[in-house]
Amino acid sequence: MELLALEFACFAYLTAAAAYMTGIAYPSDWTRRLGPWALGTAFVLQSLSVVLHVIDTGVIPVEGFTEGLAFFAWLLVATYVFVQRKQEVSVLAAAIAPMAFLFTLLAIEFYSERTVLPESWQTPWLTVHVTLAFLGNAVFGLAFVVSLVYLVQERLLKSHRRAWMIRRLPALETMDRLGYLFLFWGFPLLSLGMVSGGVWALSMLGKFWTWEPREILSVITWVLYAGLLEFRLVGGLRGKRAAYLTILGFMVLVVSYIAVTLISVPGARHGGVYTS
Amino acid sequence: MSRQLSILGLNHRTAPVELREKLAMTEGRGEGVLASLLTHDHIEEVVLLSTCNRVEIVYCSREGPIETEEMTGFLVEGTGLSVDECVPYLYSFENREAVRHLFRVASSLDSMVVGEPQILGQMKEQFDASVDAHSAGPVLHRVFHKSFSVAKRVRSETGIASRTVSVASTAVDLASHIFESLEGRTVLLIGAGDMGETAARHFQGAGVKDIMVANRTFENGVALARELGGTPIPLERLSNYLPLADLVVGSAGGGEMLSAKEVKGLMRERKGRAVFFIDVAVPRNFDPAINKIDGAYLYDMDDLSSVVEENLEERQREAVKGEAIVEGEVDHFWLWFEKLGVIPTIVALREYAEEIRNQELERTVAKLNGISEEDRIRIDHMTRSIVNKLLHRPTSVLKREVRPDEETRMLSAVRKLFSLEDEL
Repeated sequence: MELLALEFACFAYLTAAAAYMTGIAYPSDWTRRLGPWALGTAFVLQSLSVVLHVIDTGVIPVEGFTEGLAFFAWLLVATYVFVQRKQEVSVLAAAIAPMAFLFTLLAIEFYSERTVLPESWQTPWLTVHVTLAFLGNAVFGLAFVVSLVYLVQERLLKSHRRAWMIRRLPALETMDRLGYLFLFWGFPLLSLGMVSGGVWALSMLGKFWTWEPREILSVITWVLYAGLLEFRLVGGLRGKRAAYLTILGFMVLVVSYIAVTLISVPGARHGGVYTS
Repeated sequence: MSRQLSILGLNHRTAPVELREKLAMTEGRGEGVLASLLTHDHIEEVVLLSTCNRVEIVYCSREGPIETEEMTGFLVEGTGLSVDECVPYLYSFENREAVRHLFRVASSLDSMVVGEPQILGQMKEQFDASVDAHSAGPVLHRVFHKSFSVAKRVRSETGIASRTVSVASTAVDLASHIFESLEGRTVLLIGAGDMGETAARHFQGAGVKDIMVANRTFENGVALARELGGTPIPLERLSNYLPLADLVVGSAGGGEMLSAKEVKGLMRERKGRAVFFIDVAVPRNFDPAINKIDGAYLYDMDDLSSVVEENLEERQREAVKGEAIVEGEVDHFWLWFEKLGVIPTIVALREYAEEIRNQELERTVAKLNGISEEDRIRIDHMTRSIVNKLLHRPTSVLKREVRPDEETRMLSAVRKLFSLEDEL
């Protein structure tokens, strides 16, 4: 059932991606209607699959690397839906829906390779840690997407051409403001995610900090985002440079997540592939 | 008897502006022409359309079309022009073609700037004037009101009017894609040129709060600032005021007023907050290199014109969709128009009565359980004869006794009273 729900969600994400992307090039009534409808359906279906997983196993679906990605996509869509209710940013969905499609597809592909977590790891802190950390990452993900849109719009405005495209993207200032807002909200989430991770490690291994590569990279990411936020908050960093740095920050985040997962040493507990 | 809907006129494509000016239905002349048209034996209804781009007589006549020369006589009335002078510039449309033309005009598909919104308002005004003068009857009422709703459909279902096609409104549109909102922004106008003023007014319309005017001749700057409700500033002190402005419009004569180097300093002072430079002056006021500076967006006249060009092309593409909508609506309207005859109206009236009779008959027979076949036939006969007797008089009046000039009004009334109208 869980897999079936995820498969349908995946298909709905594909539909949403097609609708939103077509909507940018050829906006029409049906793209405007189909996009939100498909994305909403996909989100509900994936939520169902998450709930089923929790009922089945007692933990959130983050045991495997690709499952983690799908869970991340779920949170990304959730934050997008939350933001979209307050501010028209549907152009972001053109990037988020394909991402969600890809991640859920990967999760489905590698579904059988699920690893069961050792009993001792399954404390509530796991859920708290992963949810907070992933939520932080999802909000940074949105910051990344708005920064991309900012750069595209910036380039279009400077080029004096393709006014039709300029018209379909939000104002530069909106993207800049949202980029800042997402950093502002993502940072405490990331911080809480890290602290709760330490608490989880403490409850599991009796140690708060283990010098594991993932932990070190997390701290580097944290410092990077702290610096970025500081510059925006106090240094008046904005516009194109802020967008570039936000993109860079997110790339470091993604690369460290993937790298640590792929090169995870035996005994390492992170990144989903538990090699113990 | 054949009822005919016709249009005779000229527009910006067929006639030069000098001729259009002379033929324009100015207030006094329009009334006179309308009055003369109504004295014509065959003209039942008439509406005059007159804008700076077109002059048209839309009329409904009996006994077939009226000769172009004869109609042109009305058109030139009081202008001193001769009929022969005008005829080469005229076009005429009959019936279906006339309906299509009217729908296209209302939808702004026939306008000089396709999609411009004024034409609809002008048409409504002039139609109302004809209503006041009692020259518009049921047919023109129908066709004009229909044309207004077709225009609304075209406007909402196509992107025909979604693009700005003036330099100033394009600048506002671009500004709204740099800034989240133009509310409370500050505009700095360099030079007191017309283009700059127009741009400033458009920005005011979009919510801009403060306008500063810097002009070489301070007095002219003061005058313009007063007109715009802004503040005049001395041109020598430009650099002091520049950092306050989110939008800088250049319309001064005499070439470059701002170098890229100055703007670099300005951007530092503004901590990278965006500035939109609009250069509507020729020769240009702003160094083109300004556009390369982070946070500074520069559009000169050519850039804005090329956006306008692109928007016009897009409107043309959308106009194709508009034509398709018009086509469908013409078919629909024509169906109604053709039915507006005596026989179709009587048939419709009979069908309506028969439908009610059948419904009531069925309901009653169902309630009277166990009635004999004989009784049922009796009831059937009775209802039928009630309907026939009721309809006998209106039918014979419609067939014989209506005066031709009253016919349209009468038929229209009958259709309305019994709701025989198709959904239009």
